[in-house]
Amino acid sequence: MRRDLVSALFWLAVAIFAAAQGLALKLGSLKQPGSGFFPFWGGVVLGLLSLVLVARSLGRQSAAGPLVRPESSRLLVVAGALLGYVLLLERAGFVAVTFAFLLLLLRLERRGWAFSAATAGAGAAASWALFQLWLKTQLPVGPLGF
Amino acid sequence: MEIVQGVLYGFQVALQPINLLYCFVGVLIGTLVGVLPGLGPAAAIALLLPSTFSASPVSAVIMLAGIYYGAMYGGSTTSILVNIPGEAASVVTCLDGHAMARQGRAGAALGIAAFGSFIAGTLSVVLLTFLAPFLARVTLSFGPPEYFALMVLGLTLLTYFARESMVKALMMAAVGLLCGVVGQDTISGRLRFSFGIRTLEDGLGLVPVIMGLFGISEVLLNLETRDQDRGIFAAPTTGLLPTREDWRRSALPILRGSALGFGLGILPGAGAIIASFASYAVEKRASREPERFGHGAIEGVAGPESANNAAAGGAFIPLLTLGIPANAVMAILLGALMIHGLQPGPLLVTQAPDVFWGIITSMYIGNAMLLVLNLPLIPMWARLLRVPYALLFPFVLLFCLIGAYSVGNNVGDGVVMWVFGIVGYLMKKFDYEGAPLILAMVIGPMMEEALRQSLILSTGSFAVFVTRPISAGFILASALLVLLPLITRRRPSAT
Repeated sequence: MRRDLVSALFWLAVAIFAAAQGLALKLGSLKQPGSGFFPFWGGVVLGLLSLVLVARSLGRQSAAGPLVRPESSRLLVVAGALLGYVLLLERAGFVAVTFAFLLLLLRLERRGWAFSAATAGAGAAASWALFQLWLKTQLPVGPLGF
Repeated sequence: MEIVQGVLYGFQVALQPINLLYCFVGVLIGTLVGVLPGLGPAAAIALLLPSTFSASPVSAVIMLAGIYYGAMYGGSTTSILVNIPGEAASVVTCLDGHAMARQGRAGAALGIAAFGSFIAGTLSVVLLTFLAPFLARVTLSFGPPEYFALMVLGLTLLTYFARESMVKALMMAAVGLLCGVVGQDTISGRLRFSFGIRTLEDGLGLVPVIMGLFGISEVLLNLETRDQDRGIFAAPTTGLLPTREDWRRSALPILRGSALGFGLGILPGAGAIIASFASYAVEKRASREPERFGHGAIEGVAGPESANNAAAGGAFIPLLTLGIPANAVMAILLGALMIHGLQPGPLLVTQAPDVFWGIITSMYIGNAMLLVLNLPLIPMWARLLRVPYALLFPFVLLFCLIGAYSVGNNVGDGVVMWVFGIVGYLMKKFDYEGAPLILAMVIGPMMEEALRQSLILSTGSFAVFVTRPISAGFILASALLVLLPLITRRRPSAT
């Protein structure tokens, strides 16, 4: 299958990278294995397995199993929102980022503005209360002080 | 006598009000994540781990363990009422459980699932009580070669039971081993695969990786399919007690499921999912009317639901006696014990008897709580299932984000979670499983240490793994498992 081939080639690249890093870290000897010993052989094993998968996928007819691609753009929006949340969290503070994050995702699901804003506000406040006040998690504080 | 004393001591610990509270909260949250599709016990435990930092180790682990076996109860509710497995281990319950619901027998199905879970859960805890201390004594004599060989066997078993191709599962185990290498080398102190990034210098965090692989990726996958109409049956409030006929049909499946589940639960990598499928297959074969299966046979609910609960108990054996996790959930519990300054393994029973016996006995109490809790709460869980996914998923994602961040108050962990979320999503798309990766990542550092120590011991000879009898046995078993599918060309079929 095509997608087996694609994924196997990806892992093969990972394996080569790991083995090369292992070599750079020094393998040591069998009597005194070094830091690179385990990653090197781990990479070799992964590489061999990837080659088995490559061979198998070439042996089969490639008609079945087309390459997958995300069926909808909302997947990309959600993935972007997650990364944005992480990167902005310490800069803008927990409550503000959480509010924006929830608002975006609820609007993405075509909920009305009023409903989305109210739910996002309540969600941000409730999760702040739950984690900061009750569970004593240290959540990042923004320029506004929360 | 030793065991009786241990159990009595354990109950003293587990019955302290604070521990009862933690146990209750654990099983309640467990049932909740079991009921909700798309949020599994692994992600839930990882999420709540930081909140236990202020609690005592015993209380923390009692609660986290409760989440695990509680989820096994909750998973059946969703399978039966909605025909969506709330939990991977409840997939097979959909077949006959939902068919029973269609015939208006949802009450009996939910009832037998709860009773079966209770009986199996309790039986497995009894077995755990007697086996764990004994095994802990045996494994005290294990040296690095035995540990290494055992971990090889564990990883091989996990890949052997893989639902997709064994090659792919082995590949994921190799990737997991490489992930485990990231950070400081415990023997030489050198940094590996950290590329000058601070977050990576301490190694990849287990919590963010699990949140990514099991939490974020699951949500991303669910997002691709628009909310379908979930045909939820009106939750039955009466008729939860199985009839005499139901009991007659279910008694043996419950007992067989318990034995099977416990046995498979002990094996690293097999666990609750395999146990439930195996039990279904066994019951279908043992039945005089196998054609009833798939059309609402109560045996098809009683067996697998018992098996997955018994497996949850069995899975504690390798953790408590060897310090080796049997599955992803146990891997996080291992992490939790270590964060609280405990070293799971053969010495746990002597070094921290309160934790060892407290966990075991809390499971008796937790199972009883679940039975009392579950039957009356079924209508509430059913109502919860009507909350549309569009409202649910932003909060699931938010909790994952908070969980990943709060382990070390580190934005880097959030990025790690994001990366593994995308990787996990692609892995699901390309038919790779996440479980071998997680398990290998956790035992990777232990495995590397055992391997290097063994080679130092034997002055560089690999023969050390085959000249010591226990280690040789483990290696032989692993080799057979890898070669068996090649010889027979037949993979074990789950159903």
